[in-house]
Amino acid sequence: MLKLTCFPTFSHFAVDSHIIMSKRKARDAHLPVGECIKQVQQILRERFCERRLPDRLEGVEAQYKHLLELLRRTAIHGESNSVLIVGPRGAGKTTLLQCVLRDLQKEEKVQKNLLQVHLNGLLQTDDRIALKEITRQLHLENVVGDKVFGSFAENLAFLLEALKKGNRSSSCPVLFVLDEFDLFAHHKNQTLLYNLFDVSQSAQAPIAVVGVTCRLDVLELLEKRVKSRFSHRQIHLLSSLNFTQYLERVWTQLSLPDSFPDKKFAQEWNAGVKTLCEDKSVEEVLQRHFNSSKDFRSLHMLLMLCLSRVSVAKPTIKPADLLEASRMCFADTTANMLHGLSILELCLVIAMKHLNDVYEGEPFNLQMVHNEFKKFLHRKSNSMYNFEQPVVMKAFEHLQQLELIRPVDGSSAKVQREYQLMRLTLDHSQIMEALQKYPQCPTDIKQWAMSAFG
Amino acid sequence: MTALLQHPGYDEERLKGVAEKLPCREVQAGMLLSLMGQPHQYSYPSIFIYGHRASGKSHVMHVLMKELELSHATVSCVECVSIALLFEQVLLSFFGCDAASLLPRSPSLSDFVRVYRQQCSQSPAKQTRYIVMEKAELLRDTDASLLSALLRLQELVEDNVTVILLSEIAWDKFRPNTGCFEPLLLHFPDYSKSELQQILSQNVHPSYSAGFYSAYINILLGVFYSVCRDLRELRHLAALNFSKFCEPLAEGKVKETDTHKLWKHIEPHLKKAMQTVYLREVSSLQWEQMQQMEEEEAGALRGLSAHTHVELPYYSKFLLIAAYLASYNPARTDKRFFLKHHGKIRKTNFLKKNEKTSNHLLGPKPFPLDRLLAIFYSVVDSRVAPTASIFSQISSLVTLQLLAQVSHDDQLDAPKYKCAVSLDFICAIARTVNFDIVKYLYDFL
Amino acid sequence: MATSSVSKGCFVFKPSAKKKKKTLSLESYFVQGCEDAESSEIRFRLCQELWDEIKTDTEVLQDELNRTILDSLLDFTRKCSSTRQNSDWTSQMRASEIPTAALMLGVNVPDHDMTFQSLSDMLKQSVSPHVASVQAKECGALKHLMKKVLERLMDTVVVVDDEDEEENVETSPRVHRSMHCSLGILCDWYTARTKKSPTGTPGKKRSSQVRDEQQQPPVVIIFKDLEAFNPRVLQDFILICSQYIDRLPLTFIFGIATSPSTIQHMLPHSVSSLLCIELFQSLSCTQHLATVIDKLILASRIHFKLNGKVMQVLIGVFLYHDFSVRNFIKGLQLALLEHFHSQPLSVLCCKKKQALFNVTQLSKPNLDRIRQLPSFKRYVEKQEAQEQVNLMTDDSHLKEVCQQLIKDLHKYHKNYYPILRCLHTLTSSLPRYPLGKQIRELYLICLAKNVWENEDYQSAMKLVKMLAKGEMVSLLQKCVEILQLSKSKKMKNALVQLEELLAKFKQLDTATEMTPTVEASIPSPIKNLQKKTDLFQLQKTLLEMNESRRAKRLSPFENLRNEALEFIDNLVKSHLSPPESQPLYEVCYYSSSATVRRHLNATPRTSIQAALSNPYYYLQNDSLKSEDGTVSNTAPDICIAYKLHLECGRLINLYDWLEAYSTVVSAAEGNDQDSENFGKVDEVKHARFIRAVSALEFLGFIKSTKQKTDHVARLTWGGC
Repeated sequence: MLKLTCFPTFSHFAVDSHIIMSKRKARDAHLPVGECIKQVQQILRERFCERRLPDRLEGVEAQYKHLLELLRRTAIHGESNSVLIVGPRGAGKTTLLQCVLRDLQKEEKVQKNLLQVHLNGLLQTDDRIALKEITRQLHLENVVGDKVFGSFAENLAFLLEALKKGNRSSSCPVLFVLDEFDLFAHHKNQTLLYNLFDVSQSAQAPIAVVGVTCRLDVLELLEKRVKSRFSHRQIHLLSSLNFTQYLERVWTQLSLPDSFPDKKFAQEWNAGVKTLCEDKSVEEVLQRHFNSSKDFRSLHMLLMLCLSRVSVAKPTIKPADLLEASRMCFADTTANMLHGLSILELCLVIAMKHLNDVYEGEPFNLQMVHNEFKKFLHRKSNSMYNFEQPVVMKAFEHLQQLELIRPVDGSSAKVQREYQLMRLTLDHSQIMEALQKYPQCPTDIKQWAMSAFG
Repeated sequence: MTALLQHPGYDEERLKGVAEKLPCREVQAGMLLSLMGQPHQYSYPSIFIYGHRASGKSHVMHVLMKELELSHATVSCVECVSIALLFEQVLLSFFGCDAASLLPRSPSLSDFVRVYRQQCSQSPAKQTRYIVMEKAELLRDTDASLLSALLRLQELVEDNVTVILLSEIAWDKFRPNTGCFEPLLLHFPDYSKSELQQILSQNVHPSYSAGFYSAYINILLGVFYSVCRDLRELRHLAALNFSKFCEPLAEGKVKETDTHKLWKHIEPHLKKAMQTVYLREVSSLQWEQMQQMEEEEAGALRGLSAHTHVELPYYSKFLLIAAYLASYNPARTDKRFFLKHHGKIRKTNFLKKNEKTSNHLLGPKPFPLDRLLAIFYSVVDSRVAPTASIFSQISSLVTLQLLAQVSHDDQLDAPKYKCAVSLDFICAIARTVNFDIVKYLYDFL
Repeated sequence: MATSSVSKGCFVFKPSAKKKKKTLSLESYFVQGCEDAESSEIRFRLCQELWDEIKTDTEVLQDELNRTILDSLLDFTRKCSSTRQNSDWTSQMRASEIPTAALMLGVNVPDHDMTFQSLSDMLKQSVSPHVASVQAKECGALKHLMKKVLERLMDTVVVVDDEDEEENVETSPRVHRSMHCSLGILCDWYTARTKKSPTGTPGKKRSSQVRDEQQQPPVVIIFKDLEAFNPRVLQDFILICSQYIDRLPLTFIFGIATSPSTIQHMLPHSVSSLLCIELFQSLSCTQHLATVIDKLILASRIHFKLNGKVMQVLIGVFLYHDFSVRNFIKGLQLALLEHFHSQPLSVLCCKKKQALFNVTQLSKPNLDRIRQLPSFKRYVEKQEAQEQVNLMTDDSHLKEVCQQLIKDLHKYHKNYYPILRCLHTLTSSLPRYPLGKQIRELYLICLAKNVWENEDYQSAMKLVKMLAKGEMVSLLQKCVEILQLSKSKKMKNALVQLEELLAKFKQLDTATEMTPTVEASIPSPIKNLQKKTDLFQLQKTLLEMNESRRAKRLSPFENLRNEALEFIDNLVKSHLSPPESQPLYEVCYYSSSATVRRHLNATPRTSIQAALSNPYYYLQNDSLKSEDGTVSNTAPDICIAYKLHLECGRLINLYDWLEAYSTVVSAAEGNDQDSENFGKVDEVKHARFIRAVSALEFLGFIKSTKQKTDHVARLTWGGC
């Protein structure tokens, strides 16, 4: 463990073993640039991919304390408990929990005592699977294996039984972590949740149930009997940080720990980061990001993109990189797709837009669109684009394949394709923007698109 | 060019090879490489690559993976009729077949992750593992959790693994309603004209000079670029028309350099081909035969849409006609059309013009069996007994997809049908039994 | 099986001796209930022989009709596999496309199976052992399609997930766990197969040498009915296949009933661009039928004949309902069976020798039957008195005469068909086809009545009279060729005369060389008549031509032409008389068209209605006999209910209906009109009524309605 000294912000990151090694060897040796860059990539990537836990969390100390306290009670005094960690995606719920657990593990009493069960709503999609998983994580297959499985509750009871007469006389506390908690609420009459909460209430084996979810309305999903058994403890992670803090966070996220083998390089780098953060244009960009979302993950994505542009040739992050990165983040994907369409498909899209304008967004079918298109062709008497019906049909199909248009009802099998009712999933501005960017777009088509009437 | 692909941690030679294999895609490849980072470093959990068909998504991935010998699993989602197949392929290509055989019979995601974890605990990743998923849009059709689980697989299996999704559809259409881990979005733009030129010029006909061929491609693009930017289609067209393009050379009328003459010669053919671009009217084989043949006998060998005429039994024809009338005329007009001496029907209330669009825009309406038969009996000239074979003809028309049965096929409460043929088709049919159908169509009054 | 017991309970029925008897053989079925049992065995045998002959003929026919298209398909597949192996520029450019043959088969779906069968057999024999054909109804989902294809190619059991087939798989679970249905498996299998020595399995001997000369036999997949496939399934399958095309030389064959544009309807461009489609048109079913008729009906060696009406029915079914040749043959078979089953004298319907022998074997009742035959009666009346007496009394004499008559009948047939063909060749090319374009039409005319009394025949002859020389000669030449085929002596000397005529025409040429004017003076008016299409014009021209002919003396050519026509006309008159004119024609001709129609073109609804409105028609009970179509009140409940419901409107009030019903029934029970409980509804009547109504609902005459609970809606219309 490092002592928290000179640069408080820099020491937020634990040091992984091989850096320590290199430190031992070459405390003040200058590594070649390539090596440094490699190290930088190494450390920052781990950070951005959230593979490494921060040493201390900033901004959520209260929640941290609260959770730690709760879990310690369970772990040490064998109090049952149940709590929900609620917060938007990428707000750092899991990180919080992980940190708490890590720090909990430091107490040796906990270490040898506490059993952990990690479930994820994405994986354990129903209670049978969940139960199997629990059994497995508690290493009880051999015990259960020969037993004939009865009802779900019985099995769970059996499990807890097994825990009771587990390794030692006293039953050791079990920690259930339910990630994507809301998904568990969709399981068949919420048996698992019911039983877990039930046990956590009654004075049976001490267990703590920690649910992690991004749904603020999660309690509405619970049935009454389940909800009643839940201790309505919720830990909210609604980050209320202002822009300066946000900038601070960017800085900390980018900067290297002082444990970095090549001190000189690290200082240069951090200085570079500092200047970066002070740059005006960068600030604007970050402002935009801040307004759109202030959670860790979107920030990480942005920084990852920046980092990917760092190379031996260019060992620092320039403002340009950040701008480029944010451009990538904010790119309008559908507009990008429109760019690649053929003229014919574009014409159809325009025709649809006109239909939408005329019939206030009523659904349309290919016949109508083709009709509209023909009208245009008659007005311009150029035979350039009058294709046969089948060709137009193919173009229409392609649009549907790209999901730029969407069938109104699912029952497409019965209807002929040219008569199937569709809706356009693009809006006016997107089309216009795409038209502007379109390479070699004929002017008459541009005009047609502009023109108010179809 | 290759400068873009300089990247530490990968072999220079290999990178060169990659650069040569990926014309006009160096930018994207470089971007990808820099995102992937060096082999042993962590890479972003999930990357979503989108772009139009034949914009080189799969190709780039394939080349990168193969050339740089990265440990990867490529899965085409079309092929995965069951998610079991998907899991199996991944495990197979990472840990070998005995790992794959560890999966239970119909495995769940949980099983997959379990097996993966225990496997990679035995053989932890020295360098990043990649799972490439082609046609990722199909993942949405499987159970909802699969996609969002794959997106954060790195965290779930705690291994240095990156999931790369390839699709033609923008990411917005993927996002589940409760949100999920957002992947890095990477767009493969469609090729520009010059890029197309460069790529197409690569597959030169061995017996001609490169310059000649690229001139040909130039002409081709000049005609087609405005209507078709699909590389695959353009390649097809190039293959089709090249022999025609070379004809004057073979006859020795012009020299390779005389592009103008050549253009004069090929242009009409290209124009002709442009009308039927995208529908493979004739196979490339047949096209060549057509080119060899003279114009008049070229008629003998026509494209797909040429033979639209269908031979039908006499009564089937009338049944089809009746069905068409039933589905495109409002039922209230039957009286006027099919009664010999309908009473006084005033033109005004008969021709209600309040229907703003004609039925031929709105498409066929369903009709009950009784109405079909009633119209049938009134249009068919001779007296027909309602025999079993009449009804069997109706059902066989359904199987031939000329009729479509819309309601559930319960014979007791009358089934409903729709006519599924086009106007030209029905007109052709009606002509063979000299029945003037247009007189009976409400839209054409 | 009914019991007299009224108590509920289950009863054990010992299978009675009759039940135990083994299923009847075909013959015993045939013999059962056909009159004149003693000759029935012979008739059965004859019938069998005849049918076998017809069957084999049809199969041969089928094969040679399909030969051309099948051959073209075969070398299409060969070509594809070969182009895939050599690597010239063009084949490289389309290396990614799957070669596909779109086989247009026409809408007569029932006939397709035979075609596909022979196709896959021939493919297996000469191109590649790897052929799999799939049908739409067995692959609803992609995995099923996969499964079927893999199974048919590798002939093993392939496991699709989510349905457990652990049990019925003989291979150990470990092996086929990895045998998921994916094309990857197929690829591995294929490479393994092609690597190992071609003379591996004796089963593939035939294909082995083929495999030698081309190392990569293509893998052919036949989609029998493209229209019926689910488009999504097909698209996905093609997409998958296209990913393996470099490792697996696939070839598709689409069986299409309607039109090739269905491919474009079913497949979006992204998929259809993966195919390299080529069209193959099979010959139309009408041509097929024409050949069948030509070979089976218009042949003197098959002695069983159909009379005009039956022919009409069969052809009608073909043209109006289904273009199915197979069904036509079935109809023929039915007629055959009926004939031999119902007509005892059909013993004489066989080869000449056999027939003559059978005549000697004729039993007394059969001889009487002969005497009863209308045609024979007519014959008898023509004879003088003494002879008539002999024929009616003396059996042995009758037998001799019969033998003679049979001989005549055979001769008649021998001569009939050649002349028919000649006439057809002469008339089939005339404008407006007065005697029909197809020979079957002419045949029908000739079967109906004396063709020469038909005015179409007259006009046809007039037209022939106007043929130019060249045409005339060529037609006569054709006739000569036809006549040369037949061996009967009448035809032989007819042939001789015809050749003489031709010779005269020839020498006429030499004659006209010195006097060309005559020939020039008559430009064949047939030419400018070709375009004239309306009848009036035609007759006008005919008339004025007669005028002109009367006006000027006939040229030698015209004389000759008239002579020829005379000759033809005589031939027709002497040989094309309708079969009814021949004594004993009933022996060979099957005439009950009603039966055939009833069997081939059933009218279920009308028969149900007949049963309901006139029950006597089916259950021959005199109490049910009723005049003027009214249903007697003793009729079954359902009939009464039906009758009553005919008098109602769209909606029927159930209670009124019940009232009316009970009135009728109690009238039937015969309790007097003015007793107080007359027409009362007791629960028995009620129950019977309900049963009747539900039966009607089941038959689809009525159905319950949502809008009014105590009403039912009529699904029939009118009061009939």
